Amino acid sequence: MDTLISVITDTVLITLVLALAAFGLAIIYGLIGVINMGHGAMLTLGAYFTWSLTRHGMPFVASVLLSASAVGTVGLVFEHLIIRHFYNRPFDTLLLTWAFFLVATEVIKIVFGTDFRNVARPIEGAIDIGIYRIPAYRTIVGGLSILLILSTAFILYKTSLGIKIRAMVQNREMAGLLGLNVAFMYKCVFGFGSFIAGLAGGLIAPMYSVDPYMGNTFLVRSFFVVIVGGIGQVLAGTLFGSFTIGGLETVLALFSDQVIAQIAVFFIAVVLLRFRPQGVFTGR
Amino acid sequence: MTLEAHSAANDAHHAPLRARLIHGEDLAAIVLFLALAIVPLVISGYVVYILPQYMLLGLLAMSLAILWGYGGIVSFGQAAFFAIGAYSIGLVMKYASLPVNPAYIGILLGTTGAGLAALVIGYFLFSAGVRSTYFVVATLALSIIVEQTVKSFSNITGGWNGLYVDRMTVSLGSLYELSLFDDMPMYYTVLLVVFVVYVVTVAVMRSPFGKIVIGVRENEDRMLALGFNVPAYKTLLFGLSGLLAGVAGAFYATHANFAHPSNAGVLFSTQVVIWVAVGGRRSLIGAFAGAIIVASLSNYLSSIKAIQNYWPLLQGLIFIAAIILFREGLAGLVESLFQKQKHASAP
Repeated sequence: MDTLISVITDTVLITLVLALAAFGLAIIYGLIGVINMGHGAMLTLGAYFTWSLTRHGMPFVASVLLSASAVGTVGLVFEHLIIRHFYNRPFDTLLLTWAFFLVATEVIKIVFGTDFRNVARPIEGAIDIGIYRIPAYRTIVGGLSILLILSTAFILYKTSLGIKIRAMVQNREMAGLLGLNVAFMYKCVFGFGSFIAGLAGGLIAPMYSVDPYMGNTFLVRSFFVVIVGGIGQVLAGTLFGSFTIGGLETVLALFSDQVIAQIAVFFIAVVLLRFRPQGVFTGR
Repeated sequence: MTLEAHSAANDAHHAPLRARLIHGEDLAAIVLFLALAIVPLVISGYVVYILPQYMLLGLLAMSLAILWGYGGIVSFGQAAFFAIGAYSIGLVMKYASLPVNPAYIGILLGTTGAGLAALVIGYFLFSAGVRSTYFVVATLALSIIVEQTVKSFSNITGGWNGLYVDRMTVSLGSLYELSLFDDMPMYYTVLLVVFVVYVVTVAVMRSPFGKIVIGVRENEDRMLALGFNVPAYKTLLFGLSGLLAGVAGAFYATHANFAHPSNAGVLFSTQVVIWVAVGGRRSLIGAFAGAIIVASLSNYLSSIKAIQNYWPLLQGLIFIAAIILFREGLAGLVESLFQKQKHASAP
């Protein structure tokens, strides 16, 4: 019984953290079709900004928000300088965002060094639920993850901006002909996705040690989250995908070594990708 | 294959451009290989030690160039096959006691192993129509799977410390034996291997097989409509690519004296993508030269204190420039240079 409860809470928390980490990728991939290989570097950048700001005495919440805005700005600049010229060549955007990863990682190494850094947890302790104690900070981050997805859902489905974005996703040319500023909205989506990636990086920083390659593990897992969940299924897909990947990792780690569990998850994800390339939870 | 289908396959690419490339390619290959053959006669020491490694990295770059330049498929997992080759020869030479030369068995095992792995994975993915970006993500995962596997079976593979691999010996039964312990015999053995593999690969890519693959790159749906079994051709191409990467990995391990998990890693895999983008994805010799040039430059600049930290950054910027400005890489630049000269000399 104890194991069961701990597996369930672990799975829920891992799912939510993974969903948070993958959300920025899912937005950019799902809404404007750019495969952002620089997503991992954006997470890392958010984590380093947060580390740097908190070290200089800024409160944690303000640091995270400022870091996210900074990463969002970096994303906007990158989009404006390079990516916007390549929307009709998806493969080149993949290579260019990968180049963004390479450049950003090197800049991080030069500016912040290669040592492992730690961000102090803003909230210590655990929430006691009788037989099991849930780490408080993770729970709050999990809650934020849900809040973020719900508010994005609200924007997409209940506001006029959301209608415009969905129109653009459905038919870019038609949306443009009807007078929507498609180029501007692509920019907004790319910037928002980068902002979310930075936010996730900042929030995740206290849970792991921060190093220049911390985003890498999340990059590949995030991809599988998006692919398993189904591209374009930005909201429910992200949650389902995270649940599949995170849940599998938790369950498999019970029976084997953590590393082997991760190998097995990647293997299963490739198999899923082959049999359901349009996503596991989307109808044929 | 009917005659019509064949000629359609030929029409699918830009015939005049290609005819021009072939001519220049042969010339470039002759010059480059001759230069490589002369190097040890003129220079000695470190250069003779390190150049064979870069030639093998060039071979790895070729393994991606046939995929990317000819088939229009990009793989972020070439290092996985390279590592299969490297660990095969390492493990065979370490553990197996065989009546025949263990290095031969290791190379054979590494090459066929990497080729077969690529065939199986290629069939698995291509037969379901997994394309372009999805394929990149799948191959990215492949690299991580191989890297993690090698790391976690540390009692066999040495884990993070890597696996020590001896220099091999070339033997012909008991008649003839040549140790490759010294750099000179190693250099010429590697040069010979790389040259032979290059010639064979060029021949394959100029055969009808290569033309069909180019057809797939230019218009996959039309090739399907013409009745070509597109997944089968893609699978074969990926198998050949894995095989080449396996050869490169096996010889690299015995030259460098080690096989390491990072040989399978994502960063190494994408390094290959950079070499090919810089050298020229449409030209095998361009990709080969691209790897040698970038690897040499990287080695040289990393030895200078003032810029060693900035080189990877610079490399990233060069990569961006190659994608945006020089889509045909160095090979394209050289080609256009010759083109201009021809124009200038014509009345």
